[in-house]
Amino acid sequence: MKILRIIGIIIVVGIVLFVGLAFLLNQRPSSPFDGVAAVTAPQYPVEEASYVARLADCVACHSLPGEAPFAGGLPMGSPLGVMYATNITPDKATGIGNYTLADFDNAVRRGVAKDGHRLYPSMPYPSYSKMTDEDIKKLYDYFMFAVEPVAKPNQETGIPFPLNMRWPLAFWNVVFAPTKVYENKPEQSAEWNRGAYLVQGAGHCGSCHTERGLAIQEVALDESSDAYLSGALLDGWHASNLRGNQATGLGRWSEDDIVQLLKTGRNKHATVFGTMLEAFNNSTQFMTDEDLKSIAVYLKSLPPRGADPQWTYDDATKVAFAGNDMTAPGSSLYLTQCSNCHGRDGLGRGALQPPLAGNPTVIGQNAESIINILLNGAGRMVVDGVPDSYRMTPFRVLLRDDQIAEIATFIRSSWGNDAPAVTAAEVAKLREDTDPTSDHVIVLNMR
Amino acid sequence: MAVNLMINGKATEVDADPQTPLLWVLRDHLGMTGTKFGCGIAQCGACTVHIDGVATRSCQFPLEAAEGVKITTIEGLSPDSSHPLQKLWVEFNVPQCGYCQSGMLMAAAALLEEIPNPTDEDIDQYVSNICRCGTYTRVRAAIHKAADMMKA
Ligand code: FES
Ligand code: FES
Repeated sequence: MKILRIIGIIIVVGIVLFVGLAFLLNQRPSSPFDGVAAVTAPQYPVEEASYVARLADCVACHSLPGEAPFAGGLPMGSPLGVMYATNITPDKATGIGNYTLADFDNAVRRGVAKDGHRLYPSMPYPSYSKMTDEDIKKLYDYFMFAVEPVAKPNQETGIPFPLNMRWPLAFWNVVFAPTKVYENKPEQSAEWNRGAYLVQGAGHCGSCHTERGLAIQEVALDESSDAYLSGALLDGWHASNLRGNQATGLGRWSEDDIVQLLKTGRNKHATVFGTMLEAFNNSTQFMTDEDLKSIAVYLKSLPPRGADPQWTYDDATKVAFAGNDMTAPGSSLYLTQCSNCHGRDGLGRGALQPPLAGNPTVIGQNAESIINILLNGAGRMVVDGVPDSYRMTPFRVLLRDDQIAEIATFIRSSWGNDAPAVTAAEVAKLREDTDPTSDHVIVLNMR
Repeated sequence: MAVNLMINGKATEVDADPQTPLLWVLRDHLGMTGTKFGCGIAQCGACTVHIDGVATRSCQFPLEAAEGVKITTIEGLSPDSSHPLQKLWVEFNVPQCGYCQSGMLMAAAALLEEIPNPTDEDIDQYVSNICRCGTYTRVRAAIHKAADMMKA
């Protein structure tokens, strides 16, 4: 009797689960734009519409360098395999030309395409879900009326069956993807709220700067957790800590410093490099001063995470150089290869050549960015359409793994810097990973 | 932007974008063409000048950082080519085509200021300039001789 009862319960629960599941998997999310009349002409001035696309930096992922913008094709790595960004031009056959405003909204804020398939969360819809209805309408305007249609079919992912089935993402969404527009916090200023909206929403800063959990979800989506924006590894770079930590975060930066970096690519503490270069080239430099200020206000409100050691300049290294004391390993290489631009005092030159003394990237626990930039140099920074004239040189051909490790270790332990040593093996690994001809080259990851 | 520079002991005003590399300012704005352009990326040393006495590659030295420092170019190494290195350069026939030599001289002069009696290793370290004509052995010999002369 009892056994029958248990079996009965299991069957009932099973049916309920199955029905629930089927419902969930086939459900097209509802959009506030369901049933609105088709948009046949732009509703906003094109500058306003394109500004939202700049904020969201759609172009960085949905374009291939040197090809038509938004036509897709950029490969992105994932633990499962390579996937390709899609064509989001208004081409009717291969792009999103047939998307209604509601379809578009579902893709951008819910991660569900018009045909009902779930998008991979490389598309930062968990962040975009915080964007307002109005910004979504502007974005739609931009893609429908300002972007040139390009006929270019999307490329299948390189993810093998059965992992390429998309329905499990519906569960992922239930657990990890919020569905609420950003709500202003009344206790904070309007500026702070605008900053939070931009950073958490369209700007999707956390896609790179927040670490990811086992299910590749960002472990935090707002300031309620101190893991939020505390730095993370991706694509062979370490996206830096944007919290208030004195040594390794933005603790010593003023609001103006942050604005300057996002507007000009440089300030007296650092320059943009690595994957941030693309965010800068395509997005942040186009933001208004007010928006950048808001972002700065919000970031400066994030308290430090964990222990918060101070950093203070120590001129022992400078004195050693002045006395021709080359006993510290790496000092001789530093003198010949690095000191011309970064100085024997490690203080760099103005806002154009960044200091190594006290540079958060140099003294961070993780040396990935330092090794990467020593090997491969910095990419091209373009301000107002003009490429920069001061760029970090790649040393991949000039220096061996042990020499790069020696330099990295030297700069991480000089002028008051106090970060762990770098080994030749770490350099060798990243050299291999960033060699385009290697069989396990890093492909761009989540943004 | 107007920037006040101190070049070879003379106050000089230049009006240029603060990001302009010092080498461009010297050659194009001030017509001081003794300093040469080689690579533009701080690798070859053809553009070496002294910044507060330290040999520095001017192609990667932004104008905005040049305010308030003392700049010495090849034109200012000596008023009449009488620096011991310049004399020895003639005596030893150091230059071949000559293109790299103003940079070589500036690097060598800064070295002797810092280390009056340099070893071969010191020379390798402080004079890492590139010479496509391969004058390295003569450069080295002339530096050693200059060190001896200057000691005396
Ligand atoms: S031109 Fe300046 S180092 Fe080559
Ligand atoms: S003498 Fe010709 S490059 Fe040095």
